[in-house]
Amino acid sequence: MATRAEVTPAWQRGKVASWLVTTDHKRIGILYIATSLVFFCLAGLMSMAMRAQLTTADSDLIGPERYNELVTIHGTAMVFLFVVPILAGFANFLVPLMIGARDVAFPRLNALSYWLFLFGGLVLMLSFFADGGAAQSGWTAYPPLSLETPGSGQDLWILSLHILTASTLAGAINFIVTIQNMRTRGMTWTRMPLFVWSIYVFAWLLVAILPVLSAGLTLLLLDRGLSVGGLEVQTSFFRPDEGGSAVLYQHAFWFFGHPEVYVMALPAFGMISEVIPVFARKPIFGYKAVAFSTVAIGFFSMLVWAHHMFTVGLSVPLQSFFMVASMIIAVPTGIKIFNWLATLWRGNLNFDTPMLFALGFISVFVIGGLTGIYLAAFPIDWQVHDTYFVVAHFHYVIMGGVVFAIFAGLYYWWPKMFGRALGERLGKWHFWLLFAGFNLTFFPQHFLGLEGMPRRVYTYANEAWEGWNTVSTVGSWIMGVALLLFFVNVLRSRKGPRVGNDPWQADTLEWYTTSPPPPHNFDDVPYVTSARPLYDLRRRLRETRGIRALY
Amino acid sequence: MRALLALAGLVLVVAVAAPPALAQQWTPLAPESPNAEEIRTSYLFVSIFILGIFVLVQGLLLTFVVRYRRRRRERFQDGVQIHGSTKLEVAWTAGPVLILFAIGTFVFLALPGITDPPEARASDELEIRVEGRQFYWQYEYPNGVVAVDRLRAPAGVPVRLVVTAPDADVIHSWWIPALGGKIDAIPGHVNDTWFLAERPGTYPGQCAELCGVEHAKMLAVAEVLEEDVFDAWLEERAAEQAEVSLELGEELWEGVCAKCHGSAGEGGIAPRIAGSPTLSDAETLERVVRNGVRTMPAVGAGWSDQQMRALIGYLRESPPNGN
Repeated sequence: MATRAEVTPAWQRGKVASWLVTTDHKRIGILYIATSLVFFCLAGLMSMAMRAQLTTADSDLIGPERYNELVTIHGTAMVFLFVVPILAGFANFLVPLMIGARDVAFPRLNALSYWLFLFGGLVLMLSFFADGGAAQSGWTAYPPLSLETPGSGQDLWILSLHILTASTLAGAINFIVTIQNMRTRGMTWTRMPLFVWSIYVFAWLLVAILPVLSAGLTLLLLDRGLSVGGLEVQTSFFRPDEGGSAVLYQHAFWFFGHPEVYVMALPAFGMISEVIPVFARKPIFGYKAVAFSTVAIGFFSMLVWAHHMFTVGLSVPLQSFFMVASMIIAVPTGIKIFNWLATLWRGNLNFDTPMLFALGFISVFVIGGLTGIYLAAFPIDWQVHDTYFVVAHFHYVIMGGVVFAIFAGLYYWWPKMFGRALGERLGKWHFWLLFAGFNLTFFPQHFLGLEGMPRRVYTYANEAWEGWNTVSTVGSWIMGVALLLFFVNVLRSRKGPRVGNDPWQADTLEWYTTSPPPPHNFDDVPYVTSARPLYDLRRRLRETRGIRALY
Repeated sequence: MRALLALAGLVLVVAVAAPPALAQQWTPLAPESPNAEEIRTSYLFVSIFILGIFVLVQGLLLTFVVRYRRRRRERFQDGVQIHGSTKLEVAWTAGPVLILFAIGTFVFLALPGITDPPEARASDELEIRVEGRQFYWQYEYPNGVVAVDRLRAPAGVPVRLVVTAPDADVIHSWWIPALGGKIDAIPGHVNDTWFLAERPGTYPGQCAELCGVEHAKMLAVAEVLEEDVFDAWLEERAAEQAEVSLELGEELWEGVCAKCHGSAGEGGIAPRIAGSPTLSDAETLERVVRNGVRTMPAVGAGWSDQQMRALIGYLRESPPNGN
């Protein structure tokens, strides 16, 4: 790689410039993760503002327009600017390392994906300063409401999502090609790390669903009216008063929107499947079942979208189909949970911070999965749909599930990314405070929903709802403190001790190279003989030479 | 093994005992109509399995965490190298399938009682048209009586609600928790739902689909009256409406105008209108209400002359004083 350094122009070697022009998947991965954490903080502050407003009945801390902006941008940012891109960041950093490759298949396309993500995100965040403020119709942007809001916030929201879609599509294609073609010698499909399996399905899902979202958003944009040069375009796909259908958009949105949940969940599952075996000192229980359930979830996730539309008045046979399909997804999800539990069985469990987050993940994700069964049963959904019960449900899945997995991943792979570990003491405080704060914030919201409190209301008059709302707000402060501790930990880790190339004695190829890895990743890659190449290598060394660890 | 048996016992106890014990806080509101009742029953039936699985998974997790923690073993010592078990995989695939089959069957059996009123009572059904509008509910009774936000209905009579929204409006969702599930009010679509309340009382609810700035203020209340009281009200209101119904006027002011302009016209998210000459100028008022002005939507699009008269009459009788 010395030759590479020689052809790099001098101006590109600077501390900042080298990051701006980088096409190295590891640096792009870190850029993705850092940028999405910034957006996470912004969207998190928005949610704390909303919680503050809802603490008491008839509060007027935040007005209705501002509140609706916060609802909209919080949701959109958490999905499009935090969860999906941070997972793409992990995928960027890890996939080539895990499959023993030099880089992704299209490094420059990869850089383009990142920069599109950054600018798409900036468009969304800056839309608060647009004429008329940010979009106010929720992250789902149902017409006709999203057609009638004046100002340019909604248009910028559409523009931002278009940019992010282009970014994500390019990234997805990159991952598919990389995983398909660049696996090292011996790494057959059934020896691939489960995280790579999850990214493979994640990428295919994105390719399948994003074009549908783009189409829906384009029609929405045209319905809002567009003037290009002298050309005025004004369509009425979703305008009932002009003969359009208000429900059509919902189909397009949810055909994307529901698989998007699994786009977020599958890589989280993948990370959990990497972390638990390492800290249980066991192979994953039922590798093939876990890999196959990933594919099954991906497939079925495209057949369940109308369970978000049980109250629009679809015919009963149609609702029945979507109920059954939604319930079927619970089966492969259950397979995963039971296999994780079985991986713990008769293990040698170490409770380092990544493991705490992984176990916490199982505990809270199960709750989110189970409340989903109520929602899949459509008559019950007629009662709890669009209430705080649903808010609690999807936060248990995405905040409790996916975000816990993301933290497990951050604590687990941090030493590989930077050569230094995050502090264990602060890490444990971070975990327990987040776990307590999370449950305190979201569990009571189930009760609020059952008592009749709808979601997306900026205020409520019913004083009976005040108690649980106050508890929920207090919980959100505890989560805020927990996240603050995480960032303190990050800053401190810059001076933390170096922990070596393989601090956890893990099983997958990324731990074979140095921490952080060199630009070319590997000087050599061992021939892969199972899903745990490093375990095999350690065993051979032990048996032939009596050496107990790789490093 | 003994630990696992104890866990299984715990699962069973919790699954059977918990639903009734927690029925207050953990279930949809006290139902007052057979459809809401059936939904609640389905919810409780599903809860048996949900709580069982919850205790099973959390129990296994805790048991394993305690039982297989490292203790005095070396940090990187291998656990028992077990790669899987086909029997177990089949078991935890088939088990959930059976549970979901049970849940699905129960829901389908309960469904007719949720979608339709009891057949014997269907003949004397009362049909009320419900329109969701930014940001109020407008009801129209078969005899032409119009009401806003407060839905009066007779006790012991099945009420069929035909739910929709004007073409130029947005999507709303009709929901009175005690009287059944919600149904969306969608421009260009006509949906329907029903309830049959046996006990007179007032049952609150509100719009459940984000519909704009004052979505949170789009409250609805169902007031179930004894049948003869209801009939008397309906007749009286019809007679009153033929002239100028002040009761309707007040409902319109509170439901349509006050949510943005304040109940004394003192201003809120919309400007102060107390003392505005428009309020006493019938012609301008009608134009503004019917067509909207600037950011104010056409809240009164499609109103009958009776409605317009009622609002004008009410404002003349008791103009908002601004505080």
